[in-house]
Amino acid sequence: MGRMKFLCDAERCIECNGCVTACKNENEVPWGVNRRRVVTMNDGVPGERSLSVACMHCSDAPCMAVCPTNCFYKTEEGVVLHDKDMCIGCGYCFFACPFGAPQFPNGPAAFGDRGKMDKCTFCAGGPEETGSKEEFAKYGSNRLAEGKLPACAEMCSTKALLAGDSSTVSDIFRDRVLRRGKGLEAWGWMTAYGAEQKEGAQ
Amino acid sequence: MKTVFRQRGAVLRLALVCWMMALFAAFSPAHAAGEAATEQVVRQQSQPLNNAPVWREVRSGQEHFTLARGPEAGVLIQSEGNTWRQWRNGPITQYGGWLLIIVPSLILLFWLVKGTMKLHDKPTGRKMRRFAPYERFIHWGTALTFLVLAATGLAMLFGKHVLAPIFGPGFLAWLLTIGKLVHNYVGPVFALFVVLMIISFLRDNVWQACDAIWIKRAGGLLGGDHVPSSRFNFGEKTWFWLGVTFLGLTVAVSGLVMDFPNYGWTRADMQLANIIHGVSGIVLLTLAFGHIYMGTVGVEGAYQSMKTGYVDETWAKEHHEFWYHDVKAGKSGHPQDSVTGARS
Repeated sequence: MGRMKFLCDAERCIECNGCVTACKNENEVPWGVNRRRVVTMNDGVPGERSLSVACMHCSDAPCMAVCPTNCFYKTEEGVVLHDKDMCIGCGYCFFACPFGAPQFPNGPAAFGDRGKMDKCTFCAGGPEETGSKEEFAKYGSNRLAEGKLPACAEMCSTKALLAGDSSTVSDIFRDRVLRRGKGLEAWGWMTAYGAEQKEGAQ
Repeated sequence: MKTVFRQRGAVLRLALVCWMMALFAAFSPAHAAGEAATEQVVRQQSQPLNNAPVWREVRSGQEHFTLARGPEAGVLIQSEGNTWRQWRNGPITQYGGWLLIIVPSLILLFWLVKGTMKLHDKPTGRKMRRFAPYERFIHWGTALTFLVLAATGLAMLFGKHVLAPIFGPGFLAWLLTIGKLVHNYVGPVFALFVVLMIISFLRDNVWQACDAIWIKRAGGLLGGDHVPSSRFNFGEKTWFWLGVTFLGLTVAVSGLVMDFPNYGWTRADMQLANIIHGVSGIVLLTLAFGHIYMGTVGVEGAYQSMKTGYVDETWAKEHHEFWYHDVKAGKSGHPQDSVTGARS
């Protein structure tokens, strides 16, 4: 079993928002929720960089650690998923997440009435029966079960957004960095996967 | 010649940087963003392959451009969340948990050893009015909302350590779904009651000379005798100022910040509010254990005073002697409907 990770190559992202659209279309995400978003730094300035960001499926996931109902769980592939039936919409995962991944259908509503949290599932569905209507309605597509990778990465026109097994993604990226001789920052990897790397070193 | 060119180049570059700075100072809403972008421009010219300014910005937590709508959607990495996690899952849960176990245990031990504080003399049967109906309404409003908030709040912090292992995660999720809803809507009602409580009880909670005696004799713990006091003794005044006023307002304000998420404030503000809310809520509950003990089994007749609003004259004389004399002299400042006629 591999370890699924996302990697966005800032040297390649052209801010087309194709990943955002692909995600919304694939998962029929609720109104007001963007599981994935593209952020541009220094927009319009030479050397501007864009990054596509969603749930990074952290090794030591902060959302999981702070959830009062323990609604999160991790699959064998390292994908962080949650059970919407157990979500109370307290927003603690949103407080804790470094990437701003948890989203709420009602937005920042009065009296904390956010609705049930929604986030990127790495196109791996949720706790409902795989491929069922319920699973799709609550969590969206389960492409991983069909042997496919997340729609955002597959749709990426410049292949800036990579998704898949950690070692494969790393190999592709390392090869790119060597060829072009720049842009070696694997954005967010230390934040998301740093804890695991430390454990592996021991 | 070469040096002249190089100097001219440097001057041009400096001019360009100044122009960019001026441009960004004029057009950028956040000045810091402009500075970072300028640094980026300079770096792109001096070291085209070095993108360090961009990556520094990633961790700065500032808002960048994004098409996505949502609170702080432009922030790539917010690092404060991890600090919040450490505080909440660490000291607040652990020390808070122990505090909430140890203090009630000590109170129970105290009661088992000392027992209920009984009246020395026989009750006269004549009643004095201690609390007006509106005061009792405000007290019980505050008390009931507080207990509801305490129970639901405790379930939210300690539920997964205490309730889930016993009743299962499904039960906890069901309980907290209701609990969070109740907590979020009852909270503002509690805040209202706290404000009303402060307004209505303020007058009798100011410092009086007799409070010094109470402090000297530690409220009667030293010497064993009852200490004469006004309508409220110094212990009650401490509860009023520290518990109701300071901690009550603190939990209310920090709670409202979280109850109305992102209403002009960020995640970092709500994380801070959550830590303040947790700490002050736990301390308030700890103090409340003491107050509830004194108001129920700790002192004979204390519960009746808040239930009915009336106390026996003996009780008044033994617990609040100066207040008793004030009432008898008609100087208490509160209307008495039972000074002359006894009410049973």
